[in-house]
Amino acid sequence: MTQVKALILTGFGLNCDHETALAFELAGARPYRVHINSLVDGTVNLADFHILAFGGGFSWGDDHGAGVIQAVKLKNHIGKDLLGFVDAGKLIIGICNGFQALVNTGLLPGLDKDYTRRSVAITYNDCGNFRDQWVHLTANSESPCVFTKGMEKADFPVRHGEGKFIAEPDVLTALQANGQVVFQYADATGSPAGGAFPFNPNGSLHDIAGICDPTGNIFGLMPHPEAYNHVTNHPDWPRRKQQLKGEGQAFGEQETIGIRLFQNGVDHIRERFF
Amino acid sequence: MTACIEIALKQSLGDAEASSLVKKADSYFKIHIESARTIHMLTIESDLKTQDLERIRQEIFTNPVTQVSSLSPLKIDFHWCIWIGLRPGVKDNPGATAIEAVEDLLGRSFGPDEGIYTSKRYCLSGESLTRSQVETLAKELLSNPIIQQFKIFSKSDWHPETGANVKPARVILDHTPCFDFIDIDSDQTLARISDQRNLALNPRDIPVIRQYFLDPEVAAQRQAVGLSGPTDVELEYISQARSDHCNHNTFNGIFRYTDILTREETIEHSLFKTYIQQPTLALKEKKDWVVSVLWDNAGVGAFDEHNNYVITGETHNSPSNMEAYGGAITGIVGVYRDPMGTGLGSKLFMGSFGFCVGDVNYDGPLKPPLHPRRLLNGVIEGVRDGGNKSGVPTTFGQTLFDPGYMGKSLVFVTALGIMPKQVKGRPSHEKKTSPGDLIIMSGGRVGKDGIHGVTASSESYSENTPAGHVQIGDPYTQKKMHDFLLECRDEGLIRFITDNGGGGLSSSIGESAMISNGCVVYLDKVPLKYPGLDMWEIWVSESQERMTIAIDPKDLDRFMSLSRQHAVESTVIGEYTDTGKLHITFQGKTCAYVDMDLLDKGFPAWEFDAVWLPPAVRGLTEPVIRKPEDFNGLMTAMLARPNICSKEWILRQYDHEVQGGSVIKPLVGVNRNIPSDASVTRPVLTGNKGLAFSQTLLPWYSKIDAYHMMTCTIDEAVRRLIAVGGSMDHLGGVDNFCWPDIGYDEKTNPDGRFKAAQLVRACRALKDACMAYEIPLLSGKDSMYVDGHLEGAFGERIKVSALETVQFSATSVVEDILHCQTLEPKSAGDFVYVAGITADELGGSEYYDLFGKIGANVPQVNFGANRVLYRAVEKAMDLEMPASCHAVGRGGLGVHLALMTMAGRLGMEIDLSQVPAAAKTLSDDALLFSESAGRLILTVPPDRKPVFDKLAKGLPFRCVGGVTDAHDRLKITGVRNDIIVDLPCADLDKAFNKLFGEMI
Repeated sequence: MTQVKALILTGFGLNCDHETALAFELAGARPYRVHINSLVDGTVNLADFHILAFGGGFSWGDDHGAGVIQAVKLKNHIGKDLLGFVDAGKLIIGICNGFQALVNTGLLPGLDKDYTRRSVAITYNDCGNFRDQWVHLTANSESPCVFTKGMEKADFPVRHGEGKFIAEPDVLTALQANGQVVFQYADATGSPAGGAFPFNPNGSLHDIAGICDPTGNIFGLMPHPEAYNHVTNHPDWPRRKQQLKGEGQAFGEQETIGIRLFQNGVDHIRERFF
Repeated sequence: MTACIEIALKQSLGDAEASSLVKKADSYFKIHIESARTIHMLTIESDLKTQDLERIRQEIFTNPVTQVSSLSPLKIDFHWCIWIGLRPGVKDNPGATAIEAVEDLLGRSFGPDEGIYTSKRYCLSGESLTRSQVETLAKELLSNPIIQQFKIFSKSDWHPETGANVKPARVILDHTPCFDFIDIDSDQTLARISDQRNLALNPRDIPVIRQYFLDPEVAAQRQAVGLSGPTDVELEYISQARSDHCNHNTFNGIFRYTDILTREETIEHSLFKTYIQQPTLALKEKKDWVVSVLWDNAGVGAFDEHNNYVITGETHNSPSNMEAYGGAITGIVGVYRDPMGTGLGSKLFMGSFGFCVGDVNYDGPLKPPLHPRRLLNGVIEGVRDGGNKSGVPTTFGQTLFDPGYMGKSLVFVTALGIMPKQVKGRPSHEKKTSPGDLIIMSGGRVGKDGIHGVTASSESYSENTPAGHVQIGDPYTQKKMHDFLLECRDEGLIRFITDNGGGGLSSSIGESAMISNGCVVYLDKVPLKYPGLDMWEIWVSESQERMTIAIDPKDLDRFMSLSRQHAVESTVIGEYTDTGKLHITFQGKTCAYVDMDLLDKGFPAWEFDAVWLPPAVRGLTEPVIRKPEDFNGLMTAMLARPNICSKEWILRQYDHEVQGGSVIKPLVGVNRNIPSDASVTRPVLTGNKGLAFSQTLLPWYSKIDAYHMMTCTIDEAVRRLIAVGGSMDHLGGVDNFCWPDIGYDEKTNPDGRFKAAQLVRACRALKDACMAYEIPLLSGKDSMYVDGHLEGAFGERIKVSALETVQFSATSVVEDILHCQTLEPKSAGDFVYVAGITADELGGSEYYDLFGKIGANVPQVNFGANRVLYRAVEKAMDLEMPASCHAVGRGGLGVHLALMTMAGRLGMEIDLSQVPAAAKTLSDDALLFSESAGRLILTVPPDRKPVFDKLAKGLPFRCVGGVTDAHDRLKITGVRNDIIVDLPCADLDKAFNKLFGEMI
């Protein structure tokens, strides 16, 4: 059977590559952890893959803005390959540091299909600190985003010091009009958080937690879907288990919403390319 | 040419860093700043053309959406401007990544005379601000003179074109490297030189050292390589190897122990051998999961069929005490190198922290090097950046406050790794160096930083402690090295690996060369941060992020090619031999040539007198406290105490989920804000096995007897594991001792003998507990001299000693993580059980401390009874009977019932008269706040109660009440059948979050 091949970037302080690879594997793809330098020096060719994952971490220590140097390096060395990858209708996902890198390359938001312009930014959390916390997300059913197809809501952890999404009002309007706002931070009922801390953990405008490009093939988000790869990752799992037990049901190892997100991407490639 | 880029956030955006400064200036110093802005500065020393400078300014250093920047000073108005920059030679991590980015973008390399240096300036507005206020902020809040410098500009001082006029912080040593011969004509001379050069040689070692070098045979051999008397390189080597930090002279010393009451007199020949090594080796025989202990950088235990886990714990007290951020980040990044250097190298999968500091609101006359509040902020941030940027989850952590830690604060850091049992068919926990293997140094470069770190940590803090040993860890460089080395390991390239920590190359090569029995090292090959270091400095520098690796010469090309791919610097700096000699050269000239077995040449053991004064002899008695009337007030007062209350703001700053294996998190409960008993992590994501991890610190009991401090600490660590689903079949331990000076001196340390006796007793307890619970000590460290001499109001210096402290870490392998449990009650209608007996053991308790009392009845551990009880709980958990489980710890049943109530957001109704108690006469306050060991609280659903009761039959399990959704209150009925506590969740929350609730 033909394999859906996912390339997960590694090196230079990136750090979620193992669990991101596992998530792709659980979703049925074949993951390849590839050092950024292998793409730069041409040992590995981006065009051989279907999905490109910019994972979490602290590339270059996040020293001059999160994801900034990673973006400069990739644009500088493999900028054309990246644009070719996008043109071919392949998928790119950027998680946390990867999302920050995507907005700094200009691959997101890609307004007017301009994939080189930086028009949004992800900056320091309003709370002033790095924060690890599970958040509720509400998904935009109008969004073309491939990865969130059929999703209404999801819980994932955020773990960042720079996660506040900002853009000029006209950019925000365009993003909303195009359905590019994919995930919003929400309260326990699933309604957008309205900026209220800690539901919106970083002060993102319009509670934005993730956006896609106009085609829906490029997706960036601050929360970590790969960190919800197993039922026991969710902070409420012991309580859910107890509840189910009380109702006489077993607490099994069903697929998590985190893996489903990757599954959507893999399914899309299967439909499109095979 | 020097250029400067200034970068600031656009004015329309909130500047969180500046806001935090405004807030702290007000709350700490009552200094009112109207508004502030932060400007980041890059000073570039290079001959870049203006167009290149413009290009890097725009493409790398300016975000068009959020920032403004300029190659001339930004025109931002202020009344005062404070510029803060690093002192030359202090690790500038953003400076290094800036160079990397610029080199990559422009496609050119920086030469040795080029560099980029980062600094900041703060523009402060406020009509009323005075220069002295601004100086206070610069000194007390924004900079530390040990690593930073500052300049203050008023509006009129400021020149709009030159701005802060920052000079590059390049190190220029202007020194021709050399080595010296040291005069050893008498013991006195050598002692004097040891003092002058800060060698910290023990007076007892001096004759042995002289004897060696004066030996005619030795002299003749040395003559042949061109050496006469000892060189500074050689004496530094001996000094490092013989330091208490490296050689554990205290734990290997001789103790003459006397119990003043019983007249018991014992000679302890080695606390390490008797109380740590012996029991651990005995248990290793019994427990086949114990893979490797007592020799490597960390201990190794079996995790599953294919993988072993690796664990060690460290402290980084002395440096953190002077430069909290730098010390703490160096500490965590440093301990992370230990698992990387264990066996053939392991992959890090979790870490933890323990902070012990003085009162954060201290406003007395003593002047510690850093105020506890500032120190705590610094260590929190240091471990945060070090851990998060390493990509390792920090799954557990504790913060303690006690006035004793103002003398020296404690920073505990623990690291766990995972490695495949076999690497290319070889057991991964074995490694050796062989003649012909190349010695490679990988990672960071060597500079003046960290010189004499180990000898400094082998002393108390005083005004003369050299500051040069303070460093700033660099997790970015280390993370690259970590990824690189794991690839080398998997390809089978590594024959031996160890880290460069305390003692630098002197220690890593000195120790690893003992295996092959010799080495030759070419010091001139060692890559340096800047030229001009003397040979001894290169040899002992503790510059961070370096590993020493042995490889077969045939693998060199592959190793170097991987190193380049990962952008890690690796250099061949020597070769292992079997000549029996440690041979060091510089540009072809020998600067050290000593026998590998020199350190076995009869160096005398340290000796201590230890005199035990039992609590009664010291006049400790129980305080007389009549029954309180306001238990509601008492409960909320207890919950609000610094050592009980919520520290959520600290835990949230740590990434505890990276690597995707989080099962039980550090904060649990419906609102996810109650500290968990222990953490559980899946280091192998494809399986359902977990690693449960807990840590305990109970130093307060040392005020009565360090024996019971130790047993209670270990008992609680075990109990915490059992509460989340750990097993008594697999308990691993790590002991981290932090002790005040035990060397008696009539003037400087009059209670040294007592503290020595406390140490002996703690070690005896360690063995008793480990044997009783069958806990092999997988790893352990000791950090002595946790004392400080603090300046007081009249210029006097007062010695402040920390409590005798042990952090005990415990691990257990969980067979099926789906059986793990958290502490919050989950359903109304469930029954609440207390397991374990409550006795009148309030000595050293939080309750007594509330009234400034110590008492005498310290909790005592009944190992036999607890073992049976824990087994029963383990069984119940396996059968999934409890719906929650929680270990009772500091603060007793009262505090821990409150924690469960807050966690579950359900009502709890408890009848104290049902609590299993040692005596019927126990009062309500004793039942609520006694800290007896061996107790847990469980909730059990009605349908499982019959089976649970059967399982618990004959054991001290009692149903003490129930969980309800009729209200969300904690209602406790006292022994006289009166409701003594009745508090809604909201009141409990308020008390619990009173102290730190506003911190985010």
